[in-house]
Amino acid sequence: MDNEKLTTESVKPAAPTAAATPRPVAPKPAAPAAPAVPAENLCELQVVAPEALHAEMKRLHDEEQMDFLECLTGMDWEADGLGVIYHLESTVTGKRVCLKTVTTDRENPLLPSVTDLWDVANIYEREVFDFYGIKFTGHPDMRRVFMREDWVGYPFRKDDETEKNNPLRMDNEPLADDTEVLTLQADGTVKSNRREIFEDGDYVVNIGPQHPSTHGVLHFRVALEGERIKKIDPVLGYIHRGIEKMNESLTYPQTLALTDRLDYLGAMQSRHALCMCIEKAMGVEVSDRVKVIRTIMDELQRIDSHILFFSCLCQDLGATTAFLYGFRDREKILDIFEETCGGRLILNYNTIGGVMADLHPNFQKRVKEFIPYMRRNIKEYYDIFVGNVIFHNRAKGVGVLTKEQAISFGCTGGTGRASGWHNDVRKRMPYAAYDKVQFNEVVRTEGDSYARLLVRLDEIMESLSIIEQLIDNIPEGSFQEKMKPIIKVPAGTYYTAVEGSRGEFGVLLESKGDKSPYRLHYRSTGLPLVAVMDTVCSGNMLADLITIGGTVDYIVPDVDR
Amino acid sequence: MFDFDFKIVTEWLHALLTGVMPEWAAILTESILVALAIITLYAVFAIVLIYMERKVCAAFQCRLGPMRVGPWGTLQVFGDVFKMLTKEIINLRKTDMFLHNLAPFLVVTASMTTFACLPWNKGAQIIDFNVGIFFFLAISSLGVVGILLAGWSSNNKYSLIGAMRSGAQIISYELSIGMTMLTMICLTGTMSFSEICAQQAAEGWNIFRGHIPAVIAFVIYLIAGNAECNRGPFDLPECESELTAGYHTEYSGMHFGYYYLAEYLNLFICAGMASTIFLGGWAPLVIPGLEGFNEVMACIPGAVWFVGKTFFVVFLLMWLRWTFPRLRIDQILSLEWKYLVPLSMINLVLMALVIAYGLHF
Amino acid sequence: MNEEKNYIEGLLGGIRTLCVGLKTSMREFFTKKITEQYPENRNELQMFERFRGSLTMPHNENNEHKCIACGLCQMACPNGSINVVSEMVETEDGKKKKQLVRYEYNLGCCMFCQLCTRACAHGAISFDQSFENAVFDRAKLVKVLNQPGSKVVEKKVVKKPEPAAAPAAEAKA
Repeated sequence: MDNEKLTTESVKPAAPTAAATPRPVAPKPAAPAAPAVPAENLCELQVVAPEALHAEMKRLHDEEQMDFLECLTGMDWEADGLGVIYHLESTVTGKRVCLKTVTTDRENPLLPSVTDLWDVANIYEREVFDFYGIKFTGHPDMRRVFMREDWVGYPFRKDDETEKNNPLRMDNEPLADDTEVLTLQADGTVKSNRREIFEDGDYVVNIGPQHPSTHGVLHFRVALEGERIKKIDPVLGYIHRGIEKMNESLTYPQTLALTDRLDYLGAMQSRHALCMCIEKAMGVEVSDRVKVIRTIMDELQRIDSHILFFSCLCQDLGATTAFLYGFRDREKILDIFEETCGGRLILNYNTIGGVMADLHPNFQKRVKEFIPYMRRNIKEYYDIFVGNVIFHNRAKGVGVLTKEQAISFGCTGGTGRASGWHNDVRKRMPYAAYDKVQFNEVVRTEGDSYARLLVRLDEIMESLSIIEQLIDNIPEGSFQEKMKPIIKVPAGTYYTAVEGSRGEFGVLLESKGDKSPYRLHYRSTGLPLVAVMDTVCSGNMLADLITIGGTVDYIVPDVDR
Repeated sequence: MFDFDFKIVTEWLHALLTGVMPEWAAILTESILVALAIITLYAVFAIVLIYMERKVCAAFQCRLGPMRVGPWGTLQVFGDVFKMLTKEIINLRKTDMFLHNLAPFLVVTASMTTFACLPWNKGAQIIDFNVGIFFFLAISSLGVVGILLAGWSSNNKYSLIGAMRSGAQIISYELSIGMTMLTMICLTGTMSFSEICAQQAAEGWNIFRGHIPAVIAFVIYLIAGNAECNRGPFDLPECESELTAGYHTEYSGMHFGYYYLAEYLNLFICAGMASTIFLGGWAPLVIPGLEGFNEVMACIPGAVWFVGKTFFVVFLLMWLRWTFPRLRIDQILSLEWKYLVPLSMINLVLMALVIAYGLHF
Repeated sequence: MNEEKNYIEGLLGGIRTLCVGLKTSMREFFTKKITEQYPENRNELQMFERFRGSLTMPHNENNEHKCIACGLCQMACPNGSINVVSEMVETEDGKKKKQLVRYEYNLGCCMFCQLCTRACAHGAISFDQSFENAVFDRAKLVKVLNQPGSKVVEKKVVKKPEPAAAPAAEAKA
């Protein structure tokens, strides 16, 4: 039980105690027995045959109003075939289902596409094709999305010889101008067509991958008509690190370190999601103190992220001064983080069964100073930027996303809420201490860039009020449950979501009972937001691309993973 | 002190030179001296302005700005200039080499020529004739040719978009500038800068003489002048977040430096024009009734008045720049055509009425 | 008529918001500046105590550390940035035990995830607050943490080595 020693400082005189702990008992590698009660985040997968999949999906979409495709995960079950897990939710009834479909053909796996039902399926299915080589019939754009187009093999397959097939390439990455469309004929055969991405004579401008306002290495190919945008084709993968694949060879505690590197402005929440997923799957109940600490930290992180959102939007629109005001205030949060977690961006705080270290003695004082400070400074944001007539003209009515589009594209978080979609995971599926606090889900109906900014600013206020409710009532208790030195999750498929800084961050964990996950998929908050850019931007001006990209609020490391 | 006529110096110099050489040689020597003076002043003011911009912008943004090189970072800009001078000028394939190299010189020539129009002191003015304002407007619009050429010859989509925006923007805003100048010409009755200044020294600053229409003209001039210099909130042609650096994306070394210099000097020229036409040029501040105050003011040399007023206007322009977000190209044009042009036309009529009825001071 | 009214109202309202903005930035012009003047403030600069600069092995005044070379940290590390070199020596009473020879730590591939310090049952390693880690040669980032001539603190040796080695061996298998 080396985990009994929780922090380095707590152990300094404790050599005899540590010595007395029954160390050899713990690491017996016996497969953990399945708990009597199924874990609350265990997915009950309905298996659907590929032939019946589309009809069943259409029935769920049309009759059961399953209009939100929450998560679409490609899987490789080795001998059991390749397949996809779908998580669906109804925004009307709140009902959720998980479906699973499998094809045993490893040479030429084909599954029906659901792009016609949910717009976001387009990019999700491209991801699955990229990683597993499953082709979707009826999909309008069957290209790779993250890997290079000349990549050989499908890296997420368990039998893929990635390094052998793909030596370091010294030539430039090719970028195709056409794409493949597969259609299922009536006689069961599949016909492949090529389709041009841009029309002849389109004036295509590359925005990115090295560009000041794509917020990272994101690449948009933008077809322009004068200054108006005709079509956007996002090219992803410039910062793809294969984190999901790496996870398959890491132990559970090691996988945690990578979540901070997904959405660097949602490090707390991403790591919270993964810890919670593993804890629930193992049936570990964390103490109330941990729950409250995690809630406060999540909210601080949200404020941090939203301030940066505001700042970067200002910067993108040329208001450099307002940009620095945001950074000035964000610095306070980073100081709070650094004092307790030891990091400013890579926080490394949540652990399986608790948190890395107890709150620093100064934590409460600093947070209590910060709350009124932030409330005062928000007013300055309105004075210098938000209320400004120039910004009104740049943002009002620009990039309108309707509620239906937001749901179909799975644009959760502030972007969806600005379009009138109540999608807050903290309300939908309360976790941590969110059921104990009073807060409003900020929702607006305009759906334009201006509404998206206001939603974020209002959420800062809500987060401040959540923290205010909790900061004086942090219950006593252990900040770390005792865990076995080698953590194993019972076999099964688990899904847990939290409200990240920019939407629903979900973790899908498939375990075979080993010390490493069999598959760990993250529902990226940013991928749907990038996918929606084409729809939102079409018809707007080039300058609006910057406004819309800024307000839609994606983070590229989270998109690419 | 302010009414010290600089002509005394120039005439003395002329007499001295004609004493030792023929007239044509004397004039040639004087021209060279004047050219050297312009270039030196141009460089010095550019350096001062860049330093000022960095410090002022830092102060607006709760920062300190450059602090490391020299005391309070005063040597920072010198370091930057030397860096720029030593950098390689990169020629790219598939650019129109001749035009690409020509464009920065066009911009810097236009800006230097307009710089020569500024009245520094009584008698200290390089280009001065009876249609001075006209000449100024004509020359200052030459710079846009350099920008358009830069965008066209770079063979870069960002540059081209930036240059086209710039062309549309500068040509539109020249209308407002011309209109506000016209308003003030109504008041002064002359287009010569030296006469405008002399008149203001005798009768008071134009902004006070012309009261309401003059103040409106001043504000419109500041906005349009800011746009004319391609500075925020009108820095569309080079707006960083969309077009990386707009028309000068493909320039390096001193070619880029010329654009940089010209941008800051255009700011200075724009402010200098504002102080000449509205704020009395080298004329001191005179408050009727306060004789003691007026005497103290009169002791300050005219050149100090001029530079002081110009830097005040420069500060105003920086304040605008570092407060507002950038406009969009269509909004810039609609601001000009829907608001500034009608407003300055009405203002022109107002000024004409004020003068016709003798309501000015 | 309505349109003209909107035009005028829009103009005046716009000017008002611009003035509010100008007022705000002018107020900030005179506030205290927030710039941290690093490296001028190097002497006063105090890092937070939990800040993770680089991994260290604290030694006491007798040049003793607490590492028993069990290798748990090496196994916990996701990046392989720790390499524990140990040897088997015979103690006076005839028992064999592991002893640390060299504790190599590669700062260049450390991601500061704290798994090593959590894995260590003896508090032998911890993070310090140094942050000026830049070097000209990547090889300099590989550091040896145990000081030359140092040895393990005596009192622990009596009880620990066997159980500590056991999970190490098992986890390896």
